[in-house]
Amino acid sequence: MSSLLLCLLLAAPTAEAIVRQADRAVLGENATYTLRMTVERPGRAERVVEMRGWKKGDDLGLVRYTAPARERNTAYLRNGDSTWLYLPAGEKVVRVGPKQNFGGGDFSNGDIFRLSLIKDYDPTLVGEESLDGIPCYRLDLKAKDRSVAYDRVVYWVRRDGTFYPVRADYHTLSGKKLKSLAVSKIARVGSRERPTVLAMESALETGSRTTLEFLAIEDDVKMDDRIFTPSALEKGE
Amino acid sequence: MTPLLGIAFRNLLRAKRRNALSGGTMVLGSAALVLGSGLSDGIAKQLTANLVAVQTGHVQVVVRPADFQPQNSPFDAYGQDHLPQAMALAREIEAAGSTFGVARAVPYLQLRGTAIAGNRSSLASLIGIEADREPELRAAFPPEAGTFLPDGDPLATYIAAPIARKLRLGVGDTVSFVIQTPQGAVNSRDAIVCGVFRKNAPWYDNAFYLPLASMQELVDWPGGATNVKVTLRDGGPASIRRAREAIAALVAESHVAPEAKDAQVRVETFEEAGRFSFSIIQANETALLVLSGFLFLAAAVGIVNSMLMSVHERTREIGTVRALGMRRALVVRLFVLEGLALGLVCAALGVALGGSIVLYYAATGIPMNTITLAWMAGGDVLFPVLRAASVLRAGLLIAGLSTLAAIYPAFTASRLEPREALHHV
Repeated sequence: MSSLLLCLLLAAPTAEAIVRQADRAVLGENATYTLRMTVERPGRAERVVEMRGWKKGDDLGLVRYTAPARERNTAYLRNGDSTWLYLPAGEKVVRVGPKQNFGGGDFSNGDIFRLSLIKDYDPTLVGEESLDGIPCYRLDLKAKDRSVAYDRVVYWVRRDGTFYPVRADYHTLSGKKLKSLAVSKIARVGSRERPTVLAMESALETGSRTTLEFLAIEDDVKMDDRIFTPSALEKGE
Repeated sequence: MTPLLGIAFRNLLRAKRRNALSGGTMVLGSAALVLGSGLSDGIAKQLTANLVAVQTGHVQVVVRPADFQPQNSPFDAYGQDHLPQAMALAREIEAAGSTFGVARAVPYLQLRGTAIAGNRSSLASLIGIEADREPELRAAFPPEAGTFLPDGDPLATYIAAPIARKLRLGVGDTVSFVIQTPQGAVNSRDAIVCGVFRKNAPWYDNAFYLPLASMQELVDWPGGATNVKVTLRDGGPASIRRAREAIAALVAESHVAPEAKDAQVRVETFEEAGRFSFSIIQANETALLVLSGFLFLAAAVGIVNSMLMSVHERTREIGTVRALGMRRALVVRLFVLEGLALGLVCAALGVALGGSIVLYYAATGIPMNTITLAWMAGGDVLFPVLRAASVLRAGLLIAGLSTLAAIYPAFTASRLEPREALHHV
């Protein structure tokens, strides 16, 4: 019995391995995708934006609006630690902060473009629990330094071998919960099955919620680094 | 001269209607000058008082990037960077400052973030202050409801009426602040509204005052601040200059070094720090100058016209007095004195009219109903100021202008030949 338990313990993945796998659950290393963002605010009409995105590694990302027509070609670019916003109406590229909200929703620019948690956090596996009936690993992620956006993330990842994230609660330096991400709707999109809906809900602003739905994903796409530059952003390349 | 001046005053009554019409221009001109100066001085007073009491003090210590260029925004007065040893520096300035007129030196910490209440959120200007050491701020922002920040309550926040309305906040309600710390992390804090201050300049519409220690905790800068605000006992230019030099020497001695490589610690007077306010004051003064120029031109044309008509009507009279031996110089003097007499009467009436209007609005205030006007006036109500210097200046300018405008008609009159003048029909 004791040797069986030892085997099971040895087989359990480490916290780092779980987070590393979860980081790649939705989008792979290099991918292009089509996304629909729905922003819900109490007392206001629902806002729906569709966009096309390009991702190369953890540091290069580009998202360009395709609908509604009046916002078409609005684009966000991430290159290393810098993020830019292109507004076609003014034909201007402006630098924006990674903590500023993305497209007026509950995701920050950093949430959209920096999908890798393992780079910024030291994870600890604190236990196993069921979340909405799904067996999960519960992890506590502590920011490696004080420049990381959220000081602490409580993270639930599926324990069924897929390592799909289920939920993440983001906490500020003071320990207060700022927002929660719910990951759902596992479906075959592109070459494999994956979670396709990410819903971010503010813990402070009642009823404020933003949903990202991946409509199409293409993995392992070869991309030229030159599309991830502010000048390309302006040219609409 | 005195009998001649008496004659000049009496002559004004000989063409009452014409003098009343041309004098009316001057009365209105001098009233407009007094009113314009009153408005301009009121705006300057409000903007300066806001700046000194609320933001910079008379002199402030702040960290600026080496290539700092003020963008003419009221927020430029605030520092954006960490001022190291700010608490110690403030104490040092206050202790040594008794010799150069320092009343108080207080640190404060300003940062922009988001305020959230229920399902509403807004950009917020968060300012950490030592509440018990900010009597000027307390006087500038009296509470409309509740109280100013109480001592020793780390959860209290004192907020502007417009943001209170926007977030549906009242005294006793809870508000959450979310900020990005200068290091990059997101931090948050809850606070309870202790008071709401009435609306002032529009750039304070989103202001939340918090105890300095609470703000330092939120920004994750223990003991940190962005500015040291120095208030002097005497805010005169000489005192400010002297204090600024002494404080600069103290800062140099204390070797305060900014953390960023391309930044420097600067000691600024409120005029240097408040470029935005002073550009508004300058714009108002320029507008007043241009307006005065046009008013003077219109009044001068009226006076010249009126005096020339007077010369024309009195040609035979001038011929008679010249034939009786009155010298040309005396004719010139008589007409110039008539101009002066007209100017003095009109200036007196004009400044009385303008002064009364200014005094009325100084008591009641002029509502600045649009956001543009509120930005220009530094508040949603403008209280004009009546200064003796403005009244004197308007009076002297109008009287002087009237006298100068009479010179040409006076010489025209003096050049009349008695023989021809007597034949004038």
